[in-house]
Amino acid sequence: MSGAGHRGGGVTDFSTYLGPEDTLAGRPAEGGIVGRSGLASGTGKVDGPPKVTGAAVYTADLRLPRMAHAKLLRSPHAHARILAIDAAEALAMPGVLAVLTGADLPGRHGPIPVARDETALAVDKVRYRGEPVACVAAVDEATAREALARVRVDYEPLPAVFTLDEALDPGSPAIHEHLARKAARTGRSPNVLRRVHQSFGDPDAGFAEADLVMEESYFYPGSTHVPLEPHAALAAPEPGGRLRVWTSTQNPHSVHRTIAAVLGLDPAAVRLTKPEVGGGYGGKCDTFVTELCASALALRLGRPVRLALEREEVFYAHRGRHPTRMRVKMGLKADGRITALELEALANGGAYASYGVVTAYYLGVFGTLPYRLDHYRFTATRVYTNLPPCGPKRGHGAIQPRFAIELHLDRMAHALGLDPAEVRLRNAVEPNTVTVNGLRVTSVGLRECVERVVEASGYRDKRGRLGPGRGVGLAASAYMSGALHPTYANEGPHSMVQVKVDRSGRVTILSGTADIGQGSNHMLATVVAERLGIEPADCTVVEADTDLTPVDLGSYSSRVTFMAGNAALQAAERVRKRLVSAVSAELGCDPADLVLRGRRVFVRDEPDRGVDWRRAIALAEAEAGALGAMGSYRPPRIGNRFRRQSVGPSPAYSFTAQVAEVSVDLETGEVRVEHVWCAHDLGRVLHPEIAAGQIEGCVYMGVGEALLEEQAYRDGLLRAPSLLEYRVPTVHETPAIHPILVESHDPEGPFGAKEVGEGPQLGTVPAIAAAIHDATGAWLTAPPYTPDKVLAALRRRGVR
Amino acid sequence: MLPLPRFAWQAPDTLHGLLDAAARPGARILAGGTDLLPSMKHRLHRPSLLVSARRLPELAAIYEDGDDLCIGAFATLRAVRRHPVVRAELPALADACATVATPTIQAMGTLGGNLCLDTRCAFYNQPEGWRQALGGCLKADGDVCHVARKGAGCYAAHSADTVPVLWLLGARARIAGRRGTREVPVSELYDGADGRRWLRLEPGEVLTHVLVPRRGAPVVHHKVRLRASIDYAALLVAVRREGSGARAVISAVGPAPVEVRAARAEELPDLAHARVKPLGTHVVSTAWRRHMVRVAVRRALDACPVP
Ligand SMILES: Cc1cc2nc3c(=O)[nH]c(=O)nc-3n(C[C@H](O)[C@H](O)[C@H](O)COP(=O)(O)OP(=O)(O)OC[C@H]3O[C@@H](n4cnc5c(N)ncnc54)[C@H](O)[C@@H]3O)c2cc1C
Ligand code: SF4
Repeated sequence: MSGAGHRGGGVTDFSTYLGPEDTLAGRPAEGGIVGRSGLASGTGKVDGPPKVTGAAVYTADLRLPRMAHAKLLRSPHAHARILAIDAAEALAMPGVLAVLTGADLPGRHGPIPVARDETALAVDKVRYRGEPVACVAAVDEATAREALARVRVDYEPLPAVFTLDEALDPGSPAIHEHLARKAARTGRSPNVLRRVHQSFGDPDAGFAEADLVMEESYFYPGSTHVPLEPHAALAAPEPGGRLRVWTSTQNPHSVHRTIAAVLGLDPAAVRLTKPEVGGGYGGKCDTFVTELCASALALRLGRPVRLALEREEVFYAHRGRHPTRMRVKMGLKADGRITALELEALANGGAYASYGVVTAYYLGVFGTLPYRLDHYRFTATRVYTNLPPCGPKRGHGAIQPRFAIELHLDRMAHALGLDPAEVRLRNAVEPNTVTVNGLRVTSVGLRECVERVVEASGYRDKRGRLGPGRGVGLAASAYMSGALHPTYANEGPHSMVQVKVDRSGRVTILSGTADIGQGSNHMLATVVAERLGIEPADCTVVEADTDLTPVDLGSYSSRVTFMAGNAALQAAERVRKRLVSAVSAELGCDPADLVLRGRRVFVRDEPDRGVDWRRAIALAEAEAGALGAMGSYRPPRIGNRFRRQSVGPSPAYSFTAQVAEVSVDLETGEVRVEHVWCAHDLGRVLHPEIAAGQIEGCVYMGVGEALLEEQAYRDGLLRAPSLLEYRVPTVHETPAIHPILVESHDPEGPFGAKEVGEGPQLGTVPAIAAAIHDATGAWLTAPPYTPDKVLAALRRRGVR
Repeated sequence: MLPLPRFAWQAPDTLHGLLDAAARPGARILAGGTDLLPSMKHRLHRPSLLVSARRLPELAAIYEDGDDLCIGAFATLRAVRRHPVVRAELPALADACATVATPTIQAMGTLGGNLCLDTRCAFYNQPEGWRQALGGCLKADGDVCHVARKGAGCYAAHSADTVPVLWLLGARARIAGRRGTREVPVSELYDGADGRRWLRLEPGEVLTHVLVPRRGAPVVHHKVRLRASIDYAALLVAVRREGSGARAVISAVGPAPVEVRAARAEELPDLAHARVKPLGTHVVSTAWRRHMVRVAVRRALDACPVP
């Protein structure tokens, strides 16, 4: 079991929800997930043993003959003009091979085409402390590092912008020059990347209908991902003028395209491979300096070049959670029904756009789930500041407003004397509906999530009754299973999978997906094996190698199970049809009567009338040649009622409810999260342990953001660029986590499955905040709940 | 990976050889290396020679010596923590070893290294590039103190978990140099005036043993931190009752631990609070650390049996 959370006698009850017996009973033999196919019976994760024993090979482990090493020189200034760079002294050092500066790689890039504002190395200007300015390649790492001190950079410091208020000031210095020109015309601040304003229904009428209207401010801090593996890339020239790149990424396809674009190469001349990745959580979605500089240096030097970040540098690469200031206004009827919601969100995005345009939309668009709303409006603004760039972190853009809205709803329920769980049930969105902002909702397991989590935690008996210093809190949420629209305009499928069958019986699945530890390889093997009646152990998954695997858009927005899973299912179904056709001809039976199961193809209800797996393959090859198939997935074209709603809609949404139980030391302000019960509707369970592991990971990350983590700066300089002072929870701070898997059988998901990798985090912090209120009477509106802040809040309330 | 700067390494097999090597210019003792090596990676120290005691197992031995337990300075924190006499008679010392870093680091780090641990500060224990961006500080590569801009000295915090306990237990440090051996009470080993010169060892001197009296009133160790593992102290407290009075040694607040005495034990928390004023050497809130002085002393006292 994945087990950091299983402390203090916590029960992990997922096994009781999808034991082999449960699922075998009353389910069709085929087309349903059944225990014996390995997944539901909980076969261990295939990549578990090599990771635990150290055998797994990560990018930084790779070594090639004549490999050179690169290191980055970073800016000591938050905002400065680069007057001159003199690398002569560094280049003169024995062992130094090359020095790259911004002028060598001037191509602008960025994951979102409308906001490509980044270069591999700073060009003309630096925009945050820690921004890469030059890259030195040398025969070894120590020499490259020493040479950094001999690269002389003349800077002219410029006034810097750090806070939201500074960035919104029309007089603030422009961080990006092209925006300065526009700002001069409009009289607005030059540091706004995107402002999104949308209104649905008639919010003012909604507020007028309410029995209680409340308006409050909230602040959600920035935090970073802390993957165990720092970013690293290795690039090598290949015969024929080609380039090979190995990199630690979540988005092989996007990085592949970006390297080609920035280096001016034909994408067909670049082969990108993703080795084992030690976690991403959104922090490895962008294309990084590692990939671009290693590639450029490998081509220039004609030898392999490795560039691996140090831990400190991972904090500068960042792309973490946007610190976000929010104002929430909500109207409630006396019975708890929400009449209207208004949200204003201001996000501090740092020096570059990254996915920030998407963030601005996500901050607002998901406000309409998981509750039914007739009237909703929001304004979301994402600004530039002279800080390391923010980007997507688990629960991208949805975490902050969900925190504010859930806590606000709890406060209002409290003010009206209502049971917060009942309020959630009363407002729960119904299946097969369309939200007021045009999100098409299919399967919804929210009710069951709330009911199960309330029952498992004893929420109703505990709330308000645990005595001073102890409390429980509840929150609900929804999240997407992939985005309807790709990050760059194209008509192609979002996922493609190839299934190739060998006469030996071995099945190879080729897919451009990126397993970053979340288990997507296991998912692919599970889906294919299930459809073909074999075991996941009969499959080999080849992933994320652009010469070998068909395109997949990548591991972001919780899309992989839904989209690549569907593509794999389609490919497997095509293979199945071939097998069934050939075997029915051989047996002289109706193809519709054939069942694939237990490595056999046989007539339903007549298990003896059939052939084994290898024979079936031989028959199919004899009948129509090579056996294999491609499958693909493109999201349905769901009509948008709102033209601008191109960012946010998903083919399916997951739902979550969770309850946290905390104890608060009223004298010291120290908060302990004792338990978190988390019920998550993931449509269909493909692998109970991996699913429970994702829930545990989400809750764990939520506990870190609730109690300890904050990416904080002092004059633009990171306060704590190390794992000693950027405190993530240890096993001691991790509560007993009780995952509860809820199945709503999504009509479009593979075997009914939806996402589980991000959604469960959305409610963790507001549930903890509500529990702190239950324990102390104080509403804490700005995590992390470090003891000093909690104590100050208790003092304001006169508790101490 | 953070590379180490280049250095020479020696492991003499006599005490004489060790002292000779330690007296060379640019030499430094390497014990477990759990503080020294990370600091060298951050370029806080650049010794040209590291002198190891690994060929001198007697300096890692722990044995009973009359009324004292004699602990070789190079004994690991794990060995100290697990020693039967420590567990039976000096449980506060075992507790203090157990709060250092993590079990893996306790298996490498030594008691002597803990006594000689460099003072710490949020502006100092940082990577080289980070400190350069800040312009350095008085303790390394700079000429201002970011904790007290107008102050003339350095306020970096003494952060060694075992020291307050050893201080109250009346432990003595045995120090060897080429001119001979001396013994100093742990309570006199530190100088609170400046975080750059907190340790009263002459150049070339080596801490060889720590002598801990086995009898005496019990001591209680209390460490305040945000995380229950891998976290230096936000505040360190040890207390001991003596008759109707009590003493506390409080650390992680300045270059040396501070001793506070109260004629009546119940006055100790307030006296400590009045006396001890943490500074902004930590990422953790200074106001909270100050608040915690009183709470931690009182809680430690509550846990300390009345003699
Ligand atoms: C992640 C992490 C967390 C940590 N957390 C804590 C903590 O919570 N509390 C804590 O107290 N410490 C902590 N430490 C610091 C360290 O692990 C301990 O203080 C340990 O006891 C140091 O012993 P060492 O043998 O490794 O010392 P070394 O690193 O070998 O030496 C430390 C210093 O003492 C000198 N020295 C060592 N032995 C002698 C001697 N016999 N005579 C003269 N000089 C000597 C060295 O030259 C060096 O300057 C932490 C370290 C890390 C890496
Ligand atoms: S107290 Fe001042 S001088 Fe000393 S380390 Fe900290 S910042 Fe530097």
